[in-house]
Order: sequence, then C-alpha cells, then structure tokens
Amino acid sequence: MKHTTHARSNRSKVLLLALLFGLGVVVAACGGGGDGDGGGSSSGGEGSDLSGSINASGSSTVAPITIRAAELFEDESPDVAITVNGPGTGDGFVQFCSGETDISNASRAIKESEAAECEEAGITYTELKVAFDGIAIMTNPNNSLECVTFGDLYALLGPESEGFSDWSDGQALADELGGSNSFPSAPLEISAPGTESGTYDSFIEIVLEGIVEERLGEDASAAIRTDIPGIAEDNVIIQGITGSDTSLGWVGFAFADENRDTVKALQVDNGESGCTSPTVETIADGSYPVSRPLFVYVNNEKAAANPSLEAFIEFYLNDGYTSAVTEAFGDSGYVELPDDQLQEAKDAWANR
Amino acid sequence: MAEPISLETLSGSSRRHLNESAVKAVMAVAATVSLAISALIVFSLVREAWVFITEVEWSTVWGSSWAPRLGRYDLKTLVVGSLLVTIIAMAVSGPIGLGAAIYLSEYASVRVRKVLKPTLEILAGIPSVVLGFFALQWISPNVIQRLFDGTSQFNLAAAGLGVGILTIPLMSSIAEDALKAVPNSLREASAGLGARKVTTTIQVILPAAVSGLVAAFIVTVSRAIGETMVVFIAAGGGGNNAQFTLSPLDSGSTMTAAMAAQASGTDSVVGEALTFQSLFFVGLVLFVITLSLNIVADRFVRRVRTRY
Amino acid sequence: MALSTLGNHSVTTTAVERAILGKGSDSKGLIFKLLVGSSIAFALLVLVVLLFDVVTGAWPVLTGRGADFLSSDLRSRASESGVFQPLRGTFWIGVFVVVFSFPVGIGAAIYLEEYAGDNVFTRFIDLNIRNLAGVPSVVYGILGFSIFVKFFDGFFPNSVGQHAGKTTAAAGITLAVLALPIVIITASEAIRAVPQALREGGYGVGATKSQVVRTQVLPYAAPGILTGTLLSLARALGEAAPLILVGAVQDKLGGRTGFFDFAQFGEQFKALPITITNFAGRPGDDWQEVTAAAIVVLLVLVLMANTAAILLRNRFEKKRG
Repeated sequence: MKHTTHARSNRSKVLLLALLFGLGVVVAACGGGGDGDGGGSSSGGEGSDLSGSINASGSSTVAPITIRAAELFEDESPDVAITVNGPGTGDGFVQFCSGETDISNASRAIKESEAAECEEAGITYTELKVAFDGIAIMTNPNNSLECVTFGDLYALLGPESEGFSDWSDGQALADELGGSNSFPSAPLEISAPGTESGTYDSFIEIVLEGIVEERLGEDASAAIRTDIPGIAEDNVIIQGITGSDTSLGWVGFAFADENRDTVKALQVDNGESGCTSPTVETIADGSYPVSRPLFVYVNNEKAAANPSLEAFIEFYLNDGYTSAVTEAFGDSGYVELPDDQLQEAKDAWANR
Repeated sequence: MAEPISLETLSGSSRRHLNESAVKAVMAVAATVSLAISALIVFSLVREAWVFITEVEWSTVWGSSWAPRLGRYDLKTLVVGSLLVTIIAMAVSGPIGLGAAIYLSEYASVRVRKVLKPTLEILAGIPSVVLGFFALQWISPNVIQRLFDGTSQFNLAAAGLGVGILTIPLMSSIAEDALKAVPNSLREASAGLGARKVTTTIQVILPAAVSGLVAAFIVTVSRAIGETMVVFIAAGGGGNNAQFTLSPLDSGSTMTAAMAAQASGTDSVVGEALTFQSLFFVGLVLFVITLSLNIVADRFVRRVRTRY
Repeated sequence: MALSTLGNHSVTTTAVERAILGKGSDSKGLIFKLLVGSSIAFALLVLVVLLFDVVTGAWPVLTGRGADFLSSDLRSRASESGVFQPLRGTFWIGVFVVVFSFPVGIGAAIYLEEYAGDNVFTRFIDLNIRNLAGVPSVVYGILGFSIFVKFFDGFFPNSVGQHAGKTTAAAGITLAVLALPIVIITASEAIRAVPQALREGGYGVGATKSQVVRTQVLPYAAPGILTGTLLSLARALGEAAPLILVGAVQDKLGGRTGFFDFAQFGEQFKALPITITNFAGRPGDDWQEVTAAAIVVLLVLVLMANTAAILLRNRFEKKRG
C-alpha cells in the first residue's frame, strides 16, 4: 500500500475514462456496426434491396414464430429492421388497433370488441392462421397422476375451487363431474401464466368456460379461481412445476416439450378416444383437446404502403414458413398447419 | 466572504462581480432542477391517479385479490405484500448490516477494512435482477422449501430474503457512517475507565449513535419497500395478479412488483376501464409511504448532526 | 469526581489490569466479535456463492464464444444469441447519466455547499434532494414514461406510430434523473469535507468565490465527488424497473445501428438488465448459460464503475491520512 505521490486525481480520471471507452471500443470493434448476425448471406436474395422498418407486437406465445421468420428474412434483406415485442395478445390488439403496430401476433382470434376498436380507427386487417399450439397441463414427474378430464381441471382450477390448497379438496367436485381419478392428499401448488397472457385466456376458454356456463350460468363473475399466482415468464412456470412434487400448471406445449425431462405433461381425456398425450401429431389432428390455432394479423394499409412489410409476410407464409414454425425455439417449435389450411392463409393474404 | 476589509479598491472590477453572479446563478439553477423533478414526479403520478381515485368503484379497492386486468384493485394485498417482504428483508439486513458496520467501524484493522469495504460495495453493485433469479433459483429451493415443506417455489419469504441480501450493503454503509461519527474521545474515555471493547461498543458507542442507526434502518426500509425486480421475479406476482395473504410462504406481490407487472412490455393495457390508471394510483401510494419514511429518517440524521 | 473513587483500589486495579493484560476469558467480548465478524462473513459468503454460481454458469459461453457473444443480437437459438444491442443500450444510458447528472449534480452540490445561505429555501431544496434519493426507482419509471417518453414522442416523429418516444434518449434521461440526487448528496459530502483553511487561503490572495471553488475546493474534493458519482452510475446501469416502464424492447429489436451511431438515441432500445430477465424466461439449459453470460457482462460493466470508485476513494483516504 505504499505509493509515491503523483498528481493523482487527474490521472485517475484519465484512467477511468480510458477504461470505460476501452470497453466500448472493444465491443464496437467486434460488433463492426452490428453485422454479427451470423447469417452472412446478406448478398443475393430477391429482397436484398428492401429497406424499412416493421413493428410487431402481441402474444408472447406467437412472438417466437414471428421472431424466427424475421431473423431469417433479415438475413436476406439486412436493411429491413423488424422489431417484435410480446406483451400479450390483448395488449397487442390495443396497439394494433391504434395503428401503432404493423403486425399483431395472437394466440386466439380477435374478439368482437377488439375488432370494433380497429374498425372505429379505420384499420383493416388480414387474419392469417399460422400454426397450432397445444396447452400442456403439467405436474411434477413424481406425481402419480397420469390423465385428467376437463372436469378434474375444473375441480382444481375453476371458480368453485377458490381457496383449495390440497388436491383432495377438489375430490368431491371432480367426482360430481364424473372424474375417475383419486387425488392425493397433498398440497396443490399451482404455477400458471398471468392474466395478460393469451395462454391464460385460452385455458379458460377451452377447458373451463363450458363447465362454468353449465354450472354457474353465463354471468358467472369469474371463469377461473382467482387465488393463483400469475407468472410472467414461461420458464419460471416450469420452475414452479419442478419445484414441488404435487404441482399443477399449464404452459404452451413447446415449452413443456423442451422441458420434458423435468416436467410431466398430463394426458387429457378428449371424450372420444380417451386419454391423449400432447404431441405434434395429436395437436395437428385435433385429438389432443387442449389445443388452439395461432394467428398473425396484418394491417392492410401498412402492407400496401410498406413494400418490406408485404415482402416479409410473403416470406413468412412461403420460404420461411416451416423453419419459423418448427424452429421457433431453435431446435423445437410449434405444429405446422396442414397444407390446405396453409393454402387458405396464403389465399387470404393474396385476396386481402 | 464578508471580510472586514471594506476598501473599494479591493473589490475589483465590475466585470469580476458580474462573472461571479453568473456562476452563482448557473449553480442555483442546477440546484433547483431537483425541485422541478419532484414537481414532475408528483404531477405525473397525481394526474392519472386522480382519474382512478375519482372514478373507481371503491368496493373494488377492498377485496381479496389484486388483479387489475379483471377490475380487482385490492390495495391491501399489495401493501401487506410489501410489508411482509420488507419485514423479512429487514430481519436479514438490519442485524447483519449493523453487525458488519460494527465490525468495520470498531474491530477491523485499517488493512482489513480496506479490503472488506470495497467487497461489500461490490455486493451493493449487483443488479437486482441477478438477485431476483438468485432468490428464485437458489434461496427458495435451498432455504425456504427445505425449512417449510410443501411451500410453493414462488413465495414472499424468498423474495424477502433476496431483498434483505440486496440491502445489507446499504444498511452497513449508513450505519458505519453513524458509528464513525461518534467522537473517538468517547471510546478513549470508556477504555480509560477500564471498559472492555464489547462494553464500550454496546454501552457507549451504540447509544451515542442511535439516531444515526435508526436513520440507517429507516432508509433501508424505504429501499426495501421500493425494490422491484427481486419480488417481480421471485414472489409469483409477475403475471399481474396476486391473492391477499398474511403468510410469507404464499406467493404474492408488492406495490412495486405490481407496477412492473402492469407495465411490462406496453402501456396499452387491456382490462377494465381503470386498469392502466391503477398503476399510477399504486405509484402514488408508494411515493407517499417512502416520502414519509424519508422525512422521518431525515429528522434522525439531523439530530445526529447537531449532537456532534 | 474521580477522586472519590480513589480509595477503592483493588476493583479499579483489577479492571485496568484485566483490560490491559486481557487476562481471564472475555467470553462476552469474544462472542460479540464473532457475531459481528460473522455478519460480514455472511455478506461476503453470499457474494462468493452468487459470483461462483453465475461465472460457472456463464463459463461455456464466455470461453466458447467470447467476442461473438458481445457482437450478436437476439436469435431463436441460444447458441447464436448475444448481447450487442442491450450492451449498446446500457452503455449509452450510462453516458447519458454521466453527461446529464454529473455536471448538474456537481453544480447543485457546489451551490448548496458554497453559495447558498442557510435559509428556508436552501433547507427545502436539501430536504427535497434527500427525499428524491429515497424515491423507489419504479416511480422514476412513471416519470420517464409520463414526461420524457411523451416529450420524445413529438421529438422523434417516426413511421412506427405514436409511441416513437420510447427511445434510448428517454431511458438515458430517466436514469440520469434517478442518479441525480445521489450525485448531489455524495458530491455535497465531498465538498463539505474540504478544510476551511484551503478556502481562506484562496480568499487571502484575492481570489473570487468562483476562483476558490475552481482552484481549491474542486481539486481537493474531486476524488470524493468522483467516487460518489461513479457509485451512482453503477446503480443506474443495473436498474431494470424504470426501464420496463420507459418501454425497453424485451424481445427482438430490429435494425443494425452501430455501437457509436448517434441515430440510436431516437430509436427504441434494449438494456442488459431487461435482456437478462428475458433470457432467463426462456426454456432450456443453453438459455440459462446465455443468461449467466449476460449477467457477467452486466456485472463487469457495473464492477468497472465500482472498482474505479473504490480505487479513487482509497487514494482519497490515503491523502487525508
């Protein structure tokens, strides 16, 4: 700790600035103006002289598909800047119908009230169905439960089960709804998406709403119990499932599939052929009952005014389609549309 | 600079005076910027919060859950959540921060202190998102779930411990300042009377520094209430809904985490008519609470200053 | 007073003896020392566990990809994703903090300590600054969103739509405002520590107040001021909550604006703390490695500011003896 006395303060200042800027320069040097996108295929390709910006928002479930399509498109047309955010389907439509975004990703079809907003703002759009997603009902691998019915799920997660903290609390209700499971006497730890998420909406719509209407009538105040935590990050939901032996929750199929070593995706009784596991095949052919189509909505006027937006959607539905959907998470993704449905989407876009 | 020499020749040229006033004016403007900031904060909070206050159905503000997108604005869910997290956090950072401060101020040799204090400051520099994931992925499974079997991984207790760790450096740094402000003559006098170090510390130094220590505690409380990301990530309120609970082992949310969840990604929030405004209402409540705490803390600091 | 106790020799002598020689087991003192020592040991242990956890998690990415990680943007595959845009955003937000809050904060501190008289107005400003320092960061986010973003909405007209104000500039100014009170407080403390004799020496040779401040006070207080300002910079760099409200892009940000391209001030932005949250929310071990690597990058940035501050303070304290 012995030093000779220099004029220190100035020198330290210089040192510090050098340090900070040094870092910046290093990064800039590696970045080389941000061309580190790996692709390196920026020459060639028909769209390479396109430039402009595209703004997409909406469902965080669909966002990975659009992001994958966008990065592939940008590899070919490096001057197009595509920004994709994923605040949630509903929030996305608010932005879309105020003209803020060009594309709205949605994990459900647009609601009437939302369509009315768009119309009021004079925005016309094209609805494109782009993929299927299953919602995986998950528990911990240590849980012996294998297969559930909608009635079982209603008994554990519906509005009548408010306050249930043990699986056995839902037994009577499940039996009443014709379930054949016997629930363990163990804590019911629920790990599920929050209210901003389309996956939350879809679960209610597909699994619970029918039973709610039957039992409580159309004007039931809630379609789901409200005393469950809402978790924003899909990976954090997975952590909640692995964190307790008797957990229960749901998340998009692709996320559950990525984590099949640590979570157990329950089979769901579809009423016809019995218990069905969520797989690419069962989701595509509709035999897994908790599945839903995913959509992309495109603003027509903006597409007419912005050649890069039009080119991007063309790319999305054609050259980029398979990779965008099936490699949305790198090595895994969603379920592709059958050819005829994909053709419908292409036609819808062509005839907008 | 009112020097007694009043010869006019010494006062220099008028340009010199003009220059002085200009410098003073510029500095004064800089100082008043802080007033403008406060005014803008209050303005931006009150403008939207007022809409909420005047239009909300007050029965929805007293219920059993915070789910603004569903039109449920039970404020006590968030206030109690904040309280639980803060109490747990202070149970960690209060004693540990104070202990660390005592060690640094009374026991550590100059050399040891030179190493320890910067290391503590590195802990202070760790971004709260990092501690949030630490709380979720390490504290919750390894501490909370071990101690209390069958607890959900998302719980207010883990978030509280995370916030506690986060605020240790703040507590210790202000508490150390308070301890160091106690004049050495007190230590010498006490030692001179034959008191052992522990007696001196507990019976002389701590009582002498008490208002500074209280201030440290209050400032840390105010920081713990204001901490956002740890709770947002670890307590299970990130999805913008939380259930009223009095148990720290349940999942829940706090005022801050609810605000972050509300705004996450967009300001175009769907929901009931006042969903978005509720964000500002919570912000206003939070602002008033921390403001009161800070004013109280300031009183204590002032007392310590005037004493020595 | 001491005289009256002189008679009682034996008690005082034993006490003094014991204190001097340390004879007898001072178990109470030992336990106390152990207690306070373990407090600080605990804090350090947490730090070590945390750093170890993060660095080991990040190791494969840092050693395997190195510069490529710093120069790539978000991609669908973790192995291709990097932190170029968020690092750029956080770096420039830091520059905004330095450029805006440092001069204003130091100026305010000089005014309060050197110029302002002790009147109601000054005391009010002083109290106000202390309160601002205690306002939760998420509330600054509301300020940023309601005032700065709205201001820049008009400033940067953009084909994207009405919310073009969620820019690097808005985020930078929001965090500069957040850092300002801390800068003022720490700078004030450093200025207060300047011995009065230095000022008087200056006046003695006929210097004006501003000359005294410039030539005597500031050079002496500089290391202390810099320490405080850099610590506030470190805090600002790690803030996530206000940036959520100001509208940092969480997923994909388009465009290939260069690191030093000023055009980015008027564009949407990403920031490291937000990106860390986003990465961590993705499934799979490879994303967790990338998350850890992004945390290391942020820590390095924050620790650079911290380390610089600590080095400066050590010199500063040495100079005072």
